[in-house]
Amino acid sequence: MVDQLSPLTPVLRSGRYARDDHSVGVTLAEVQPGSIVQLSAWPGQQAGILAAIREVMGLFVPGGAGSGVATETKSAFGFAPGKFLVSDQEEGFSVAFADAVGPDAGTVTDLSHGRTVIRIAGPKAEWVLAKFFAVDFSEPALAVGSGISTVHHDIFAQIQRTGADQFDVYVFRSFARSFWNSLRHASEEVGYEVE
Amino acid sequence: MSPRRATSGGLIDRSRSIRFTFDGQEFTGHPGDTLASALLANGVTLLGRSFKYHRPRGVLAAGVDEPNALVTILRGEAREPNIQATMLEIYDGLKVVSQNRFPSLGMDVGAVNQLGGKVLGAGFYYKTFMGPVIGPLKGTRFWMFCEHFIRRAAGLGKAGTMADPSRYERMNAFCDVLVVGSGPAGLMAAKAAAESGQRVILAEQDARLGGSANWCDETIDGQPAGDWAAATVRELARMSNVRVLPRTSVWGYYDGNTIAALERVTDHKASPRRGEPRQRHWTIRVGKVVLATGAFERPLVFPGNDRPGVMLASAAERYAAEYGVLPGEKIAVLTNNDGAYRSALALREAGCHIVAIIDVRADISQPARATAVRTGAEILTGRAVTATEGGKKLHCIKVQAFDAATGQISGDPRSIDVDCLLMSGGWSPVINLASQAGAKAEWNERLQAFLPPKDADGWIGAGGFNGTFSLDAALSEGFAAGGGTDAGLLPATSSVDLDIAPAGVFEITGKGKAFVDFQHDVTSEDVRLAHREGFQSVEHLKRYTTLGMATDQGKTSNVPGLAIMANALGKQIPEVGTTRFRPPFAPVTIGALAAERYGEIRPERLTPMHDWHVENGATLYSAGLWHRPMIFGLPGETVEQAYVREARTTREAAGIADVSTLGKIAVQGPDAADFLDRVYTNMFSTLPVGKARYGLMLREDGLVLDDGTTWRLAEHDFLMTTTTANAGKVMQHLEYLLDVIWPDLKVTLTSVTDQWAGASIAGPRSRDILAACVTGTKVDNETLPFMGIVYGEIDGAPVMICRLSFSGELAYEVYSGAGHGTHVWEALIAAGKPFGLVPYGLEALGTMRIEKGHVTGAEIDGRVTARDLHLDWMLSKKKPFVGSMMMIREGLVAPDRLQLVGILSRDNIPLNGGAHIVEELDQDNPHGSIGHMTAACYSPVLGQYIGLALVKAGKSRHGQRAFISDPLRKRFGPIEIVSNHFYDPEGKRMHG
Amino acid sequence: MIITCPFCGPRDSSEFVYREEGGRTRPDPASTDQAAWNAYVYERVNTAGDHEEIWQHSGGCRSHLRVLRNTVTHKILDVTLARETGKAEKPA
Repeated sequence: MVDQLSPLTPVLRSGRYARDDHSVGVTLAEVQPGSIVQLSAWPGQQAGILAAIREVMGLFVPGGAGSGVATETKSAFGFAPGKFLVSDQEEGFSVAFADAVGPDAGTVTDLSHGRTVIRIAGPKAEWVLAKFFAVDFSEPALAVGSGISTVHHDIFAQIQRTGADQFDVYVFRSFARSFWNSLRHASEEVGYEVE
Repeated sequence: MSPRRATSGGLIDRSRSIRFTFDGQEFTGHPGDTLASALLANGVTLLGRSFKYHRPRGVLAAGVDEPNALVTILRGEAREPNIQATMLEIYDGLKVVSQNRFPSLGMDVGAVNQLGGKVLGAGFYYKTFMGPVIGPLKGTRFWMFCEHFIRRAAGLGKAGTMADPSRYERMNAFCDVLVVGSGPAGLMAAKAAAESGQRVILAEQDARLGGSANWCDETIDGQPAGDWAAATVRELARMSNVRVLPRTSVWGYYDGNTIAALERVTDHKASPRRGEPRQRHWTIRVGKVVLATGAFERPLVFPGNDRPGVMLASAAERYAAEYGVLPGEKIAVLTNNDGAYRSALALREAGCHIVAIIDVRADISQPARATAVRTGAEILTGRAVTATEGGKKLHCIKVQAFDAATGQISGDPRSIDVDCLLMSGGWSPVINLASQAGAKAEWNERLQAFLPPKDADGWIGAGGFNGTFSLDAALSEGFAAGGGTDAGLLPATSSVDLDIAPAGVFEITGKGKAFVDFQHDVTSEDVRLAHREGFQSVEHLKRYTTLGMATDQGKTSNVPGLAIMANALGKQIPEVGTTRFRPPFAPVTIGALAAERYGEIRPERLTPMHDWHVENGATLYSAGLWHRPMIFGLPGETVEQAYVREARTTREAAGIADVSTLGKIAVQGPDAADFLDRVYTNMFSTLPVGKARYGLMLREDGLVLDDGTTWRLAEHDFLMTTTTANAGKVMQHLEYLLDVIWPDLKVTLTSVTDQWAGASIAGPRSRDILAACVTGTKVDNETLPFMGIVYGEIDGAPVMICRLSFSGELAYEVYSGAGHGTHVWEALIAAGKPFGLVPYGLEALGTMRIEKGHVTGAEIDGRVTARDLHLDWMLSKKKPFVGSMMMIREGLVAPDRLQLVGILSRDNIPLNGGAHIVEELDQDNPHGSIGHMTAACYSPVLGQYIGLALVKAGKSRHGQRAFISDPLRKRFGPIEIVSNHFYDPEGKRMHG
Repeated sequence: MIITCPFCGPRDSSEFVYREEGGRTRPDPASTDQAAWNAYVYERVNTAGDHEEIWQHSGGCRSHLRVLRNTVTHKILDVTLARETGKAEKPA
């Protein structure tokens, strides 16, 4: 199997880019899930999609608007009515979902190559994200596991809170490098570390 | 005598000194000083020259209402003009210069404008320079002659020409309660809201929180008000649900309680920390806004009221109490209300000599008189100041008897020697933000001021904003505004029994210029002139005189201007009405509005193979947000040589292009085929699985929206491609139809543009190349016929190959996962080497499509029909589709419409897109356009310059001669109109 | 301006695009009534006051929303998902 080449490869430089007082407020990293899959339910068929997520990934998604769940290796969250984004470290989940989701329930779309996931974590993660997105990132407005869809100018983003001060930002692959550079720039104020 | 620093008092830190320069001269101040306070402390009273008359000006106010003391900051090569000295905190190394003076502040030749005062009144420029030329010194042409000199002489500071190296940022915030203003009312509101657990943001435009608590002489909770404020701020700052924002001016109040604010993050720092922005633009979405913005003291309008040394009473009080600066040695006070007595007392206690208190009222209240006695001043009631003397610095005032009811002046003027005159014309609540929010101001007769309405949706007022001037009441209103209910929690205060309700006197008419709007040099006579010339509405007054239109937006001039206008009209002030305040409340830098986009306008959108292109000599070209290879030039090649070589090699052997930018939409679901039949002009339900078809989409009005191929990957699974430029538009069009028009259709649309890397491999050897590297499938004509799709692998990476052609050659599009894009591309390049494969860019791609007569966005310009492009063969008659009824409207089928044609250059000179096509060449008077060029190139296969064009009744003109007429680029010459299919019209090559 | 998306919650107006006047009915696709098509494509009520509009939450969940908005005060009175509030095409 050929490994995926990340669009961030030439610009992702691990290291500490601290403030003058040596502190860092956020850690930036690329998460490279093997699978990113979009699941869409026909009206009234959301239960079937949630059941498929349980069956294929063992994740229980409550199903309210934007609700979701995240573990170390996998995640799922709603980002639009009847639509969910799931990711897993393992490759090939779109095939498993294609079997679990029938044409009467909805559709399965593989986005494993199409989205880049950037993780921003640390005490200043909300502060840095708020420079980009007009969204309330505070808890409980955005609870752990929950996701949102938003935009920074031309860059669409789906963002899941995967921890108390950790967020996974899904952006279109073609914009990933630009967004990464902007994110680094915006993080300079609080100091950052690249994993 | 000069202003000076008192030996004690104020909130500045005397233990440390800060060095700065003003007009090249070095001064020192202390932490806590503004430029204005520091210069006053050094005895500097002359800070600038006025806008129109170049009159010497000093400091009028102490805060954001300052109209006069504008300076330019020099930061390296960058310069920032029109900064209020009263808002500028000094720091070590600060360099500031004064404005609008030549050659120097003290010696200014522009001051001769004062002599022409009568001539330069309101409307002078319009009257002199607009309209027809009558005589030598009038009219528009005269303006063009004079403009250079006038622009030099008039105006405020000069903008810099160097790029601003600063960093600006944006911040989004959400809160339950935003408190604007941190005076006692605001602090109390923030405290009450915070203690009830709400999310609170407290914004204060000054560096020091506390507002009037910092300079009033009252106590709160048994301690000096300033100490109470400082303690309260510390307490708030410790709470996790509170954000305290000093140096943050809230300047815009928009729909839905969206608030705009500007934080000056490092403007006060000699050296900002790494990554710190200079300024931060806050957009705050608020549940409830507490407006605790206080009130501005108003100047009085009297002759010479702009002389350096004349300042607002409250400003002088503030300089003494907050900055330990005595604004003068011998001070007089001119007032129409009791408030100024308090200022006088404060200055007396700080060490100034109060010479006289001149009150326009004949009778004054007992508390006022008692206060006046304590100042030791002579009390002159029923009198007014009718002139000031002293050139660049006040040294004498003239006082005469004054009748407040009639405005009559009588008696001989008496001279009083002073170096500072404090004036108070009453107070105007700062209702600007409420007015922006749509609140209609209400005139209050007692306070002679506009007050905000009581009821408001989204905001609540407290303190001076409401016209509430007692400390007790301000705290109580703030407490209630913050949601506090238990009045027992309110701190006790020592209240001062002085009423600021003024007499209705705004102007003392006399000889000499009396300024209403200091910053724009609008005098009371200008206002009356506007009235005499027929301007009756306050809106017209404002525009004609420019009253209130300067950077201070009329903070001090608004009400006096209205009062004088009302007086001229013989009306009451509320009848004249007020103008609605608009954002921004205080000046905002453009950089802050651009924020994170400053300098870097757009994000870059990169294809999966981008780095390969850069490493292999591609010249990039931006197409929308995408960066695409224009050419892969060899050393020494021109652009034309490069694309001609690339196109020729592709047609003769093979070429490979990155087509990853094509819009790609997954159309999935049981109703996908039905949906495509509705949105495409041609049929897709009949398309077999594993085949692709070229499709055309119309808009609802029957004009062409976009074209592209759509591939059927499975029964319920299509991959639609769109042109690069229209991907977003097509997606929105389809989403709208599904969501709003046909919600019953079971179809999912997903943008998968970024999921796939696309490589187009074209040319007679393309099949050989694929055969050499693709495994898992054959690629011969039988397995992979025209418009067929196969799946296989290239060097271990899964690929999907569709045989389709844009260039007119035998060609394939090889799609792989985007993360495998470079891997597959490199494998194709390696496999193609023995066959002479070259990478080609957009120029060669464009050349080959022009030769082939294919359309792109240049032709699909939102005005063409399918027939105009000779695509009527794609219009199904078996089914309705979006636009099918509207496309047959009369005007859209007329024979003389612009139609797609080919163009041959007949003088062997290159053609240009956008050039007009004419039947008669007339270079001096170009006319009679019959159409325009949409694309042009040198055609390697035809060996000449060709192009595509949209020409009136073009199809019937094949073989006709015409001319190119391109006056802007001076390109005129003969052409021949031909069919758009220049090359292989039968399509033998691509079907081969 | 803030629009409360039924799915995403209150969001800034910069995330939305205005698409169309709401409450309009598209003729049956097979209709050949030229006047009806013309009216559908070009005629608008342009109300001063409460106005039904179609907005897309293009910078969010991408749903189309039926927004009842007062064009004089800019107040938004109601927002629903367009998909759930009935068809806008005439039944055949």
